[in-house]
Amino acid sequence: MTPFLHINGIRKTYGDVVATDHVELSIAEGEFMTFLGPSGSGKSTTLYILAGFQDPTSGDIKLRGQSILQTPSHKRNIGMVFQRYTLFPHLTVGENVAFPLRVRRMGQSEVAEKVKRALALVRLDGFEDRMPAKMSGGQQQRVALARALVYDPPVLLMDEPLSALDKKLREEIQFEIRRIHQETGVTILYVTHDQEEALRLSDRIAIFNKGKIEQVGTGPELYANPATHFVADFIGDSAFLAGELAGVAEGRAGLRFADGSTVAAVPLHGRGIAGQAAELMLRPERIELSPEPGPEGASLPVTVEDLTFLGNNTTVSARTGWGGALSVRLNFGHPLSARIARGDRLHIRWAPEAAHAFVRG
Amino acid sequence: MFSAATRRGSGLGFAMSAILLLAAFFVIPVVFLLTRSVTEPQLGLQNYAALVGSTTYAKVFFNTFLVAGVVTLVTVLIAFPVAWALAIMPGRWASVVFAIILLSMWTNLLARTYAWMVLLQQTGLINRMLKAIGLIDQPLQLTNNLIGVTIGMVYIMLPFMILPLMGVIKKIDPAILQAAALCGATKWQALTRVLVPLAAPGIASGALMVFVMSLGYYVTPSLLGGTANMMLAELIAQQVQSLVNWGMGGAAAFLLLLVTLGLYAVQLRFFEPKEGR
Amino acid sequence: MLLDFHKLGAWRWVLTAICAVMSLFLLLPILFIVALSFGNSRWLIFPPPGWTLKWYEELFADPRWIGAALTSAKIGVIVMVISVVLGLLASLALVRGTFRGRAVLRAFFLTPMVLPVVIVAVALYAAFLRLGLNGTLPGFVIAHVIVALPFAIITITGALETFDPAIEDAAILCGASPWEARLRVTLPGIRHGLFSAAIFSFLISWDEVVLAIFMASPTLQTLPVKVWTTLRQDLTPVIAAASTLLVALTVLLMIAAAVLRKGKSE
Ligand SMILES: Nc1ncnc2c1ncn2[C@@H]1O[C@H](COP(=O)(O)OP(=O)(O)OP(=O)(O)O)[C@@H](O)[C@H]1O
Ligand SMILES: [Mg+2]
Repeated sequence: MTPFLHINGIRKTYGDVVATDHVELSIAEGEFMTFLGPSGSGKSTTLYILAGFQDPTSGDIKLRGQSILQTPSHKRNIGMVFQRYTLFPHLTVGENVAFPLRVRRMGQSEVAEKVKRALALVRLDGFEDRMPAKMSGGQQQRVALARALVYDPPVLLMDEPLSALDKKLREEIQFEIRRIHQETGVTILYVTHDQEEALRLSDRIAIFNKGKIEQVGTGPELYANPATHFVADFIGDSAFLAGELAGVAEGRAGLRFADGSTVAAVPLHGRGIAGQAAELMLRPERIELSPEPGPEGASLPVTVEDLTFLGNNTTVSARTGWGGALSVRLNFGHPLSARIARGDRLHIRWAPEAAHAFVRG
Repeated sequence: MFSAATRRGSGLGFAMSAILLLAAFFVIPVVFLLTRSVTEPQLGLQNYAALVGSTTYAKVFFNTFLVAGVVTLVTVLIAFPVAWALAIMPGRWASVVFAIILLSMWTNLLARTYAWMVLLQQTGLINRMLKAIGLIDQPLQLTNNLIGVTIGMVYIMLPFMILPLMGVIKKIDPAILQAAALCGATKWQALTRVLVPLAAPGIASGALMVFVMSLGYYVTPSLLGGTANMMLAELIAQQVQSLVNWGMGGAAAFLLLLVTLGLYAVQLRFFEPKEGR
Repeated sequence: MLLDFHKLGAWRWVLTAICAVMSLFLLLPILFIVALSFGNSRWLIFPPPGWTLKWYEELFADPRWIGAALTSAKIGVIVMVISVVLGLLASLALVRGTFRGRAVLRAFFLTPMVLPVVIVAVALYAAFLRLGLNGTLPGFVIAHVIVALPFAIITITGALETFDPAIEDAAILCGASPWEARLRVTLPGIRHGLFSAAIFSFLISWDEVVLAIFMASPTLQTLPVKVWTTLRQDLTPVIAAASTLLVALTVLLMIAAAVLRKGKSE
């Protein structure tokens, strides 16, 4: 079956700079797909190639099986909301939203009807005659959203549309975007470098790094099963303990650390052989602290270095026998939190699926 | 920067009409004029030799640079305090002074020069007022010499110095001068050691502009200076129009052009904000 | 301290005095000609012994003055249109273009402004003698466009630089072709810049003296040429009357510009 939208090996270079490197992605109709990654990782470039503002150096983009690269931007029928405010400053809100319909030479009554519906969708009924300069940033972005949706595009692109807004407003509009996605069923490609925003909004997330996609998956998949060190680091907090592979079997590995302590049967990502440098990843909320050692191979002795009370939890900073740093979260009311002190020698332990090993290199 | 509008093609085509117009009616005519300086009446540098060798022409150069220098100096001395005051004065008064500056700047050049011709003539208002308060017995000769030219030119150049300088002073952070005062600087020290140095790039670039404009000015010198006190622009016009000596006119034009472009290059090099490629 | 007007102490009065004297220096000559234009002294005695409108009557009775003013207006309007259109195209290239050497091209476009006008005038005079354009309307227009264009380019470039190209991109994604986007979105977005450029270009053409002296013929001359030739004969008060009308025009245009600026800031 041909995917709804297929980004097929897109590569884009500017001189020596590789902006995107063989980006490959299939998106289903109605899906909310987010591009998440650090600054300069090629998220916008991919989006702008979809919009037709840039031509890829190689690769293709297919919508319902048809390449769209030869179609100029204004005929692609794609909607987009930009990071900066891009309302037409000389037109009222109503005229802004009507603009795409006017350039499509749509009849007067139909335009009025659609504009009304689009403004209702973004909850700005009655703002038709307002000038953009007289609206708040959040309102302007909602008008931009209405303008991008009024012509029922099959795909809506959003490039960090909320990054200029403050945190509270941002959350409010995230909620609105989710609702609008559900109501319209439009396919959305959303760019952000805020992981919370990505997790809150998306059906699936594509993690970008240095022009490549590191992993694609739902939020829980990326959290529970990161494919690379980069993804593990980017989604959620984690500690990485450096050591070497002691043995590899059936996708699981044993690791040995500088002081000779070992762990066993950790899910291994990447190919490696015994003796190779590797690291153990542990998330602070998925390990337990206890006076007794846990089952052999899923436990390590640690020394408490510091305790920080953070309201709903107490974060314990600790060091392993060879000096590796990690932290553990104790929920409020955890029996240990009142009893432990700096310098205490304790043990950490974890469920077999909670730890991950990454080959280094 | 992503931009769909210019994505196809580099956008150079848009500039073509302006480029062609300037090439045909600016670059080619100017180059042509300059080449005539070495081809007329015959091939060679005789025109330049004549320009450099004669005392008549030496006097023209002297007049030109003297007037431009004095005009620049006087303009800077008046413009700095005015620009400073305008940058910090409370709104209403500043806008009155500002409006007067704009009015004088946009009033027709000939109208302004005419006013000074009338004011400065022997029976003019200035001479009669000076006589009335007993400063002079005989009317002073204020037109048809370089004094008249200087007054008229300062009048014209002042706005060109005040407006940019005001912008520069407005951008200086007042906290820097507060810091100077807290460091123990007296007002005079704060002025000479902090404010003037901070405004220096603006002063220098404005002065350079006024100097360059004064060097090539034609209208005011020819109306207020008279034929005996010729400046360079008048010399060029005279050679071409009355004497039909294109070689000589071209040579004088070339020298003026050289100085002007040289100073323009200095201006671009040192005072313009650097641009990306 | 030195940049706080109210903390300047006695210096405040010195600065105020300098400002006042300079304002009078700038303003008095203008008021003076206005007064003289209504005075009845042919020898420009001030204060005039009596008041009269006869210089205005003389001005309006002379078809050469009226003709020169009409010529100036006609040339000014044509120059305005051409330099705004060419200036807009050149600015699009300078601001939105991606070709190399944009900074050099910008400097090139501005050279007619920094070069002494007399050089441009003499060079064009020679070229037009050959082309037979001296003393013709196209000759005047071309000459004035050369000096007005840099100002139009500076003004329009400034407006275009503050207009976010992403807005144009948004229009294109909305379905407008690149030209449609420029016409329906970018042009209205920079209309204040275009208006200022138009006013500037007209005024530069209207006031241009040096080029006009070289382009003029006995049958075709602009207002400044007429003032110039009259001035060289004598300082008749008719010139004061003409100058006063020019000052009035300046004031009107300044008010128009101020209203425009107010409209923009709203
Ligand atoms: N026009 C251009 N010329 C040269 N290099 C460019 C251009 N546009 C983008 N790049 C480079 O391409 C790379 C990817 O840029 P892109 O804008 O796609 O990143 P991004 O993931 O959107 O980052 P951000 O989160 O900062 O928006 C960067 O290294 C950038 O410097
Ligand atoms: Mg980006």
